[in-house]
Amino acid sequence: MEGRPTEESALVERAKHGDQDAYAELVTRYQALAARTAYVVCGNEADAEDVAQEGFVKAFYALDRFRPGAPFRPWLLRIVANEAINRRKAAGRRPTVELGVAHDPPSDDTALSPEGAVLATERRDEVLAALRRLRDEDRLVIAYRYFFELSEAEMADALGVARGTVKSRLSRSLTRLRETLERTTVGE
Amino acid sequence: MREEELETTLFALGRQLASPRPTRMADAVRARLAAPRPLPWWRRYALAPALVTAVLLFAVLLLGSPGVRAAAQEFFHLRGVDIFPVPSLPTLTPRPSPSAGGSVPGGGVPGDRVTLAEAQSRVHFTIRQPSRLGTPDAIYVDQAEHVTLVYGAAQVVEFRATVDAGFFGKLIGPDTKLEQTTVNGDPAFWLEGAPHFFFYRLENGTVLQETLRLAGNTLIWVHDGVTLRLEDQVSKDEALAIATSTR
Repeated sequence: MEGRPTEESALVERAKHGDQDAYAELVTRYQALAARTAYVVCGNEADAEDVAQEGFVKAFYALDRFRPGAPFRPWLLRIVANEAINRRKAAGRRPTVELGVAHDPPSDDTALSPEGAVLATERRDEVLAALRRLRDEDRLVIAYRYFFELSEAEMADALGVARGTVKSRLSRSLTRLRETLERTTVGE
Repeated sequence: MREEELETTLFALGRQLASPRPTRMADAVRARLAAPRPLPWWRRYALAPALVTAVLLFAVLLLGSPGVRAAAQEFFHLRGVDIFPVPSLPTLTPRPSPSAGGSVPGGGVPGDRVTLAEAQSRVHFTIRQPSRLGTPDAIYVDQAEHVTLVYGAAQVVEFRATVDAGFFGKLIGPDTKLEQTTVNGDPAFWLEGAPHFFFYRLENGTVLQETLRLAGNTLIWVHDGVTLRLEDQVSKDEALAIATSTR
């Protein structure tokens, strides 16, 4: 995932000087992650694709503000996530998003007994339902940690907060997830 | 659900989450980069006065929030008055300053026109008067115990600042000179030159829009725990002489 950092900074440097081929390589490298980030916020694939593209365009024009040598990935994610959040705001922020799972029987849970697998799927669906109702910002923090497994330093950069506050941010978002989870499961 | 369970579920969910189909985004991005770039929104609307006001109010709100206030590097504070130097000021039509004629000080803090005795009965501090200005033409007092004394073109506003109460703010551009001085040994600020923005912010953070106006030369000082603000087109020496004559 980390790639070759020296090569990456060279690509960024070339892109900064207007080299669109170099930038295209960065786009290819991070398109999946950018689209997934946008998807977590927007909750639908069509918007996610468009937001990710727009994020790449904005990032290109913002390259002169990029600190040389800094990691590109969290910097890009921050731009994409902002674009996604703004898009949701502009559209009047429907309270829930339609986040979904790709495939049902999870292949990585083969170690579980059939009953265990059913239970795990139930739990997953409950958590997913709660995530759909969460504030965009909370969903994003949780996704950075558990879905994309960003490091604390990367999360700080991607969220634009001090490194020391990442943990408390995450724990606040988790608390809200838990509260939503309790409300929905009790209600059902 | 236990914490561990929740975390495991989240990790698993991350692996199973739907994701947008892989595309050749590089081509799409290249196409967008080739298209003429539309002006950013702030360039398109920057000249609309209403928006300028909104942006300014927003800046003021931002500056007013406690975290930002504490973090602001260059920010001057004197009991209930905060001064924010900003790189540039938006253009706004100046509002008239309070005068003896209006029922409320136009553009100032709203209030009722009262006699000195009544003003004194409504506030919990002794109203001070700069004897050098003579007798006020009009006196106003508002709910927040701000007393405004109007003397021809000059006005003096006084109030007792409390912690966490609303505050007066001043937004000054590079063409306004801000000087720290003293009146009778107490700290004071003198603002001179280009007009600066003046506003009043309530305890709850709202900026009273009608108070947003341009102000001229101003002296702010503290006398016996009461903050006084003199607005008058006079020199600094004259303003200091007026302030020193406060009884």
